[in-house]
Amino acid sequence: MKIAKYLSIFKISFAQEFAYRLNFIMWRVRNVMQIFLVFFLWDTVFSDPGRVLFGYDRAKILTYVFGIMIVKSLVLSARAADVAGDIYRGDIMNHLLKPMSYFKFWFTRDISSKALNLLFAAGEFAILFIILRPPFFLQTDPLALLGFFLFIALAIFIYFNLLFIISSIPFWAPELGWGGQFLVTVIIVEFLSGALFPVDILPQMVQKILLFTPFPYLIFFPIQVYLGKISGTVLLGGLSISLFWAMTLWLVMNFIWNKGLRAYQASGR
Amino acid sequence: MDKAIIVDHLVKNFEVTEKKPGLKGAIDSILSPKKKTVRALKNISFTIQPGELVGFIGPNGAGKTTTLKILSGLLYPTAGFTSVLGFDPWERKPEFLKEISLVMGQKNQLWWDLPAVETLELNRAIYEIPKKEYEENLNELVALLEVGKLLNIQVRRLSLGQRMRLELVAALLHTPKVLYLDEPTIGLDLIAQQKMRDFIFEYNRRHEATILLTSHNMDDLIDLARRVIVIDDGRILFDGVLEQLVSRFAKEKIIKVSLSREDDIKRIEEIGKVKKVAFPEVILSVPRSTVAVAAAELLQNFPVTDLTIEEIPIEDIIRKVFRGETSLHKKK
Repeated sequence: MKIAKYLSIFKISFAQEFAYRLNFIMWRVRNVMQIFLVFFLWDTVFSDPGRVLFGYDRAKILTYVFGIMIVKSLVLSARAADVAGDIYRGDIMNHLLKPMSYFKFWFTRDISSKALNLLFAAGEFAILFIILRPPFFLQTDPLALLGFFLFIALAIFIYFNLLFIISSIPFWAPELGWGGQFLVTVIIVEFLSGALFPVDILPQMVQKILLFTPFPYLIFFPIQVYLGKISGTVLLGGLSISLFWAMTLWLVMNFIWNKGLRAYQASGR
Repeated sequence: MDKAIIVDHLVKNFEVTEKKPGLKGAIDSILSPKKKTVRALKNISFTIQPGELVGFIGPNGAGKTTTLKILSGLLYPTAGFTSVLGFDPWERKPEFLKEISLVMGQKNQLWWDLPAVETLELNRAIYEIPKKEYEENLNELVALLEVGKLLNIQVRRLSLGQRMRLELVAALLHTPKVLYLDEPTIGLDLIAQQKMRDFIFEYNRRHEATILLTSHNMDDLIDLARRVIVIDDGRILFDGVLEQLVSRFAKEKIIKVSLSREDDIKRIEEIGKVKKVAFPEVILSVPRSTVAVAAAELLQNFPVTDLTIEEIPIEDIIRKVFRGETSLHKKK
């Protein structure tokens, strides 16, 4: 049974996360603090109840902020961020020696980590909801919800492939791993995906270009679908671009990894 | 299948970027990287029979670990042919990976923050070992390596010796037919080393496993390996029975003489290099080609009561091999 392999990986990853309980809790606290920060920022900007900026009023922007919290813990909290270190330290050898797919190994660890994070995010969500009492929009249209989950699944896959591509840098340049990751995950992804602000407050021109990149489909697009702001042809258009990127990045990832493993020098401590 | 491992004209080159010390060196290496090709393996060939236990020896950086990594499918060979149990290692087919194991003294597969038993369970699933077989193997390994009490302790709380034994359990749960051991006794104390050796011997015997072992520990080789492959600077210098290593690399023989009078010792130095004088015994080292002449001369001109001719101890030879001071090695 192949599935049993990955179920075992899921279980041990879960156990591993709990080995660093304090670390994990601090990470969650950091997340909450970030939410507070973004929440109060926008709350201040929209302190005048009648103010509408970039098509967002207070209720909408605050819903967006809460949406970020859930979607981020689903999409951007990825264990695969450790892959570069795995290569750099040579620990990847242990995995390559085993009859399992390295990609699926990390994907499973990722899902495991996401499950845990989601569990906590749901709790935090409830608490913050009670404290801040934001006007929150509950989507009831099953079609919109289905679309939302579809986009989330694609976003997880896209981000995972992006991470794997970036993580392959140490095959060629062992000391550059961390820098590349920082650039991509922290700067580009956070900024362009809509994890800091909704992408549609940017100038039209920039938005148009951005929508052809994979980034807004990580955070911004799924939330908009949830909010019911995107539907019909725009949704289908987004879906096809998103699918295109999922496929392309997967192919690119496979190509680069095939090359990378050949170039790999398997050094390390 | 007649051969377990075939290595034919294997070549492996590494591209390395040279880096000079300091900030300037770091900047230079980014702006104008100087690539250098390191020829780690220069055309090596050998074959190993199923069930053989072969020692791989040579100085640091000779290419031993590189060979093991190629044979495990971790490194892509630059040129040449390799086959392990009929598989091309590089393809890393699951059927191949289920039959091999690579244990590196300085590499851990055990999950650091969890008890070892968690990793073992994971390996059971990954290698698809049936529950019953798993329990049998585990019990056997645990008993042989005496690690029963350690299974449920967090790995990071264990000593190196304890961890190494558990690493071995994790690596052998799926009873690999081919086992690569890279410095299995490194960093272990004498008792732990002996336990490890006994275990390797036993595993080889019980499972008829093919074992390729690299070590800097002389006892590992003398105790375990009947056949050794000496590798230095990416080339094979010797491949044969351990005892033959001596006749191949020892340029000299040892003559031990017992004398009835002490005053002759000065003159003996003309016959050979005097290594030790502990009257009445004198130990000389003499070139192999002239050993008979030297012995005759001693018997004729000295009051000899006893004389024996011996080979240089194998330990001395291996030590020379480790230092790269072998006769075929002209570079130094």
